[in-house]
Amino acid sequence: MIRRVAKPVSIFLTICMLLLSLPHKSAFAGMIETETALNATRGQEARDYLNRILAREDVRASLVAQGIDPLEAKARVESLSDAEVVSLADQIEELPAGGSALGIIVGTLLIVFIVLLITDILGYTDIFPFVKKHSEAK
Amino acid sequence: MRRINITLLVLIVNLMFIGCGGVFFKHWPQPSENLPVSHELDSVPFYPQEAYQCGPASLAMALTWSGIQANPDTITPEVLTPSRKGSLQSAMIGAARRHGRLAYPIAGPDSIFEEVAAGHPVIVLQNLGLSWYPVWHYAVVVGYDLHKGTVILHSGVTPRKRLSFRVFYNTWARSDYWGLLVLSPSRLPAMAKKHNYISAVLGLEKAHQWRAAIEGYNTALARWPSSLSARMGLGNSYYALGDLESAEAAFRQATRRFPTDGMAFNNLAQVLWEQGKQQEALEAATRAVDLGGPLVEEYRRTLKEIQKGKP
Repeated sequence: MIRRVAKPVSIFLTICMLLLSLPHKSAFAGMIETETALNATRGQEARDYLNRILAREDVRASLVAQGIDPLEAKARVESLSDAEVVSLADQIEELPAGGSALGIIVGTLLIVFIVLLITDILGYTDIFPFVKKHSEAK
Repeated sequence: MRRINITLLVLIVNLMFIGCGGVFFKHWPQPSENLPVSHELDSVPFYPQEAYQCGPASLAMALTWSGIQANPDTITPEVLTPSRKGSLQSAMIGAARRHGRLAYPIAGPDSIFEEVAAGHPVIVLQNLGLSWYPVWHYAVVVGYDLHKGTVILHSGVTPRKRLSFRVFYNTWARSDYWGLLVLSPSRLPAMAKKHNYISAVLGLEKAHQWRAAIEGYNTALARWPSSLSARMGLGNSYYALGDLESAEAAFRQATRRFPTDGMAFNNLAQVLWEQGKQQEALEAATRAVDLGGPLVEEYRRTLKEIQKGKP
């Protein structure tokens, strides 16, 4: 019984699936979909964001105060993979009081916090236990 | 039945932890300084739930607030999984999108009061039971009072139920602080993050709600004018609607703003080609290939199609 029914049903379902998938596919032939764009641009945007932070005078001053060469910090950010840069940028954006408001006014404490977070992730410092070290095994 | 369960549970828990009320106590996030001390929304309707309807009822309240006609009975078939006697979070998100509303999951416990203060009700998933005896429940946060330490929820059959911070955070933490904003695509969450917001608008595209998606991308661009993905999404949504002229305009703007990225040139080429503007299409496609990048194979394919002749 099942065998007799299975074949027509599966053929019917196959056709249904094809019909479902066809119009969407053909509608986007030749187009880069938004999802692809979103994933492709994310790494670059995170990089720009981090570079903007590292270019700020107060951040650079704070780095120097920590004994860290801003150029070296920048070089280390550049050597991170897209996924790592995105997670770093996310952590900064998720800071309380909104790292996203960074462009507006940021208290000295928050700057120090951000700097330490970055340098922690880059392996200069070891302040925050929740930061997974980039190369723990060294 | 559930009420009996809860009463029983409360009894058991009380018996187990008598005298150590702080056992589940975790610290809750400190709200930011400029947050109003208390706020209560009066624009959120209350729909009492029937059995297993907390998901549909919560979503119906949020949808109605956002300007969509809905009630628990109309929403139930869209979200309820009968075998689970409940509604999955993904079903709640999907249903909101199918109504042309932006479903924006809030990340963690930090921003909930900011959202309420901005006038946005927040759907939360609580576990009223324990981790090993879960009693999952959706409710809508409609207010808070920092002085009294209470959260105000439309929950179950009780409108404006007041819960202490401690109980609220304990029950909410068990869902990993799952919370959802259901917004008109013309509104931004109070604590909107660019990537999350654009992903939420992308969800509207996936639900084929192109007009809502267009509105959402425009909202995103007003806040983050430098987002290439939002510009791409805007063009793609117009394209999906068959409005090639508007799509062309959106991609053109994208190419002007991002002259070194091939994606917008590729899509511009396709849209021009479909309008019969062969020469311009060829130029745009060639430009995309010249710019290269990880998607260069796609650009080459587009160029090849255009070189073949008419669409």
